[in-house]
Parts: sequence; C-alpha cells; structure tokens
Amino acid sequence: MNSDLVIKDLRVSVEDKEILKGVNLTVKAGTIHAIMGPNGSGKSTLAYTLMGHPGYTVTGGEVWYQGQNILELEPDERSKLGLFLAFQYPVAIPGVTVANFLRAAINAHRAEEGKDPKETAIPMAQFRKQLREQMAALGIDESFARRYLNEGFSGGEKKRIEILQMAMLEPKMAIMDETDSGLDIDALKIVAQGVNTLYAQHPEMGVLVITHYQRLLNYIKPHFVSVLMDGRIVREGGPELALELEEKGYDFLREEVASA
Amino acid sequence: MTMKTFPPLGEISDALVIETSQAAGEPEWLTEQRVEAWRFFASAEPPFWRRTDLSKFKPEQVIAAADAAATSLYQEEDLADQGVAFTTLAQALRSHEALIRQYLGAAIEPTRHKFLALNAALWHDGVFLYVPKNVSIELPLTAVFSMPIPGGAIMPRNLIILDDGASVTFVEEYHSVAASDQAFAAPVTEIFLGNDSTLRFVAVQTWGEDVYHIGAQKARVGRGAALEWAAVNLGARVQHIEAETALEGDGSRVEWVAATFAADHQNLLTAPWLRHIGAKTEGHMDFKTVVKDQSYTTFDGMIKIERQSRATVSRLEEHALHLSPKARSDSIPGLMIDTNDVARAGHASTSGEVDEEQLFYMRSRGIPRDEAIHLIVMGFFEPVLDRIPNDALRQRIAEMIEAKI
Repeated sequence: MNSDLVIKDLRVSVEDKEILKGVNLTVKAGTIHAIMGPNGSGKSTLAYTLMGHPGYTVTGGEVWYQGQNILELEPDERSKLGLFLAFQYPVAIPGVTVANFLRAAINAHRAEEGKDPKETAIPMAQFRKQLREQMAALGIDESFARRYLNEGFSGGEKKRIEILQMAMLEPKMAIMDETDSGLDIDALKIVAQGVNTLYAQHPEMGVLVITHYQRLLNYIKPHFVSVLMDGRIVREGGPELALELEEKGYDFLREEVASA
Repeated sequence: MTMKTFPPLGEISDALVIETSQAAGEPEWLTEQRVEAWRFFASAEPPFWRRTDLSKFKPEQVIAAADAAATSLYQEEDLADQGVAFTTLAQALRSHEALIRQYLGAAIEPTRHKFLALNAALWHDGVFLYVPKNVSIELPLTAVFSMPIPGGAIMPRNLIILDDGASVTFVEEYHSVAASDQAFAAPVTEIFLGNDSTLRFVAVQTWGEDVYHIGAQKARVGRGAALEWAAVNLGARVQHIEAETALEGDGSRVEWVAATFAADHQNLLTAPWLRHIGAKTEGHMDFKTVVKDQSYTTFDGMIKIERQSRATVSRLEEHALHLSPKARSDSIPGLMIDTNDVARAGHASTSGEVDEEQLFYMRSRGIPRDEAIHLIVMGFFEPVLDRIPNDALRQRIAEMIEAKI
C-alpha cells in the first residue's frame, strides 16, 4: 500500500464558487511538505477537503492514500486510516472534557469490527499515563485534562491541545492548517517542538504544513515547499523557495504566473 | 406492595374526605383544609393549558392512594440526635404539627388550579424534612416516589423546612419500576429556607411512558440563604411542572439548572418562575432541553424583578438541541422588571440541531457520527449531571439519557 498522499487534479467548490481548480500534489511518507500561499489561495479549503468537511463539494479529481481514494470515505474513516488535521480554528465541545474526548477518540481508533468496544478500549491506567506524559512534554498544565475541550481556551492553548491530540493519536499523515496563526513566538516554538518530537519518533510520518508565512518553517524544517495560488500549485521546490517568498513576497510569483 | 386507595375521584364525596382524615387521626384544621380543597377540585373547571395535552386524561377515573405506601425515604446516617426530622408528612403530623400547620400551603396556594387543590385534598404520600438551626448535613437525603399500582395515582405533599444557618441536600425522585397503564402523579413540594441556610435540591422525574405528571414546586428563600436547584425530566407521557423560586430575603441567591429530554410522543412542559424580591438577590438559571422523534417540550419561564428589590443580578440561559426534524421545542421566556435599580439582567437562548462544525471536528478524530452525537448530548447536560450528589443516581440518569439518544 502506498503511504504517500497523492492529490490528483483536485477541484473543490464552496457554495458554487470554485476554490481549488485542479490541485496536483504528492506528500511523501516520511517527509515534511509545506504548502505556502497568500490569503484566499485555497489553503484551508485544501485542508478541510482532505479531512472530508461536508461544506466543501468535490467537483473533480482524486486523493489517494493507503490504496484508497479517500474522497469516498467519511471523516472518521479517514482518521482511522491515519490522517489527522490540526485545525486553524479548533472547535469547542461544551461539557466534554479533554481527557474524555481523547479517550473516545483513541478508543474509536482501537475499535474493531465484531469486537466488544470494552475489549479493545485502552486500559484506563495506560491512558492516564500516556496523557500525563504528553501534556508534560507540551507544557500543558494537568488541570486541562478535566476542562471542557477548547471552551474558554486562549489561541495558544487551543493549538497546544491540537498537538496533544496529534501526539496521542499518532497519525501517519498530519495536516497542519495555519498552526502558527495567532501564536506568539514562545507558543510557536513549543508547538513546533511538539511536531518535531513526534516526527522524530515516527520518521515514517508525513506532515503537510499549511502556512501563509515562512516564520513557522524556521522551526519545522520542510523537505519540500509548494506554492498554492488561486486554486493551483504554481511552484514547487525545496526549503529555499520559502526563503525566496519571504524575501520577495507573493507578488513576484503572481506576476510570473500571469506572464507564463 | 399493599396499599389503601380511594374510590375513583368521580365517586368521592365531601363526607368521605372528612371521614378518611378523621380515621387517620388528623387534626381538625387539616380536615378542614382538605375538605375545602376538595370542594374546589370538585367544582373547578380543568385549567386551560395550551401546551399541555390533557385531552386523553380522565380525572374522574383516577384512583388515588390513601396511604403513604408510594413514599420511600433513604438516609445514610441517623440524624435524630441532631434534631433533624426526615419522615413522611403523615408521620410528622404527630411530632411536628405546629410547624406543619404554620408552613403547609404557605408557599403554594391550593386554589391556583384544580390539580393543586386535588393534592391539598387527598395527599397521603409525601416527605417532611426539618433541619434545625445551624445543623449541617453532608450526605444527601432522598425521597423516592413510585407508582404503587398500575393505573393508580399519587399526590405526594413535600414540606422542606431549613432553619437559619442549616445546610442539607435533598433529592426527590419520581420513578416507575415498570412502564404501566396510564397513571397520574400530582406532587407538590414547598420549600422554606431560613436566613443563611443552604439547600441543594435535586428533583428527578423518570416516570414510565404513560404517566401524567402535574406538579408544583416552590422555594421561599430567606436572607442570605442559597438554593442550588437541579431538575431532571426524562419520563412521563405528559409533564406540567410549575416551579418557582422566590428570593425574598436580602442577599439570597439561586443557581437553578435543569435537563429535559423528550422522545417519542412525550409532551413535557416546565414553567420556572424566578422572583427577585429582596435587595442584592442573585439568580442564575441554565435550562437545557433535548428533543427527539415527535416529542414536544415547552420552556415557559419568567424572571420577575419586583418593585421593592434593589441591585438585582439575574441571568437566564436556555438552550434546546433538536435530534429529529419533527421534534418541537417552544421557548417562551419572559422578563418583567418593576424597578429601575437592577445591577445586571441578561438572557441567552439558542435552539437548533447538533452543530455540524462540532460533529466534523469530532469525526476528524475518528469518532463516528452517532458516538459524536452521544458525546455532544451528554456534554450538553453535563452542568446538570454535575449537580447530582449521589453517584449511583447520576450513573442511572446518565444511562437513561444514553438510552434515549
């Protein structure tokens, strides 16, 4: 089975407006791949579509992962296949604690057809230990385990909890949607370190880092950089491409694309 | 369970009401109250309630309990040496007649409608709880009312009196052992909180599917006293509960939360009134409703800030979650302010289906749709479940909610 994420001519509309106009992109297993692009280029649409948000209508193309066209799968099935999306705007779930939510997610991953969920559930002690360790590594106070998920959390706290979820679920292909937005430099370093640690522990993992700014890429070093503009990938390169964009801005590319 | 019953309501006479009261050795003042209430019941028209469907309910055929067999009381420790009385109201007439005479009917007027009069006339079930001055009881006291015979009726009368500085947790639970024929419950609970007392009051209605429940509850809260009230309404075919908190004393306060879950053809109405009367009183109401299938719920709430109150703080939250497109929840919140001196008064209300963004977020973590809805509903009710002091009861309620989703 192919553990690369292969996006072929992906076209997506939101409320009848075409946002992605034929995206072709391969995120190789074991690599960190950055997608950069200006506001409105379709970055978040790509992230949500890969995870299966019902508000995005796929009008063409395929996304292959683990031998399946994942566009035919429900979001929870994609998650069980190993996909993970770190949200730009994590959603609050009132009355559901971080710990209970994570346990439900882990147990959903462990569930097997035809088996009693009680049999496959993670033992409580093991879960608690794992949660405590991961929270400590991300500098999250233990009290957060009992707080309602994302309710009243600051922007930085929400992003750390996203990384915590990622660390607990150990995905094979992680998509980070503007994880740097709204973070100060200290929070950014902690979040980046969390991603790097996880990647070091799971070198076979693929990471798709979606960002507007080069800043995040100082801390999460990409192997590849692709530039998304007006619903298409317009340039691909190595880490030097991110630096070039930082220096020149997106306008120079826009002019190049227009004149090409 | 053996029990004594009255003949069907349609066959009861004034004389029988008097005779039954006298045979039980009740004081004369009570016999008089009963017969007066009975006359009101026998002559009054049924109340006209637009949102409570009584069209299939035949009061004249109701067979009411004539003893306290439906009342079960639970306490974890012997409290008698602290002067606490926790017994049936009928029993307490022998030990605490003066208190009962002073307080019975002092919160809820029996002639407000026919069924309150019926309760005042025929009550035999019910609990009497008296906590003396400055006595604090940690473990919850529980009264469970169950339908003793299929098709029967009970009219529990509960009287809760906390003297100044007293503190206690009281749970009243209406519970069917099995789904039964059309049965009827008309309970009335009157609560009196002395100055600086604290009551944690939990009211749980988990009747079987063919019970009519027409109830009334009222708490009169004294100076500096605090009431925490949690209501859970899961059962019954038709529920009509009129509940009131009167913040009479200066600095009195209430934290009032409720969880209602209606499914199938249930018709559940809750009418909570919060009256601010004293100065610097504080009220927070948080009412949660889930509707499913063809069910219909009504929240008919009112906050009234009286003329003589000052520096009031009042907040009403009510939220409804729809799990089926055919289910209906009506919300009729009201705010009446008769003074210019209000510190803060606010209201927030939402009603809608399960949030798609929440669902997507949870599903993106591998949680299947059905389970995500379970978690969202349990989380929605969490602030109420959190207030249930007894682990076994909380567990049982959580399981009932789970089963309904």
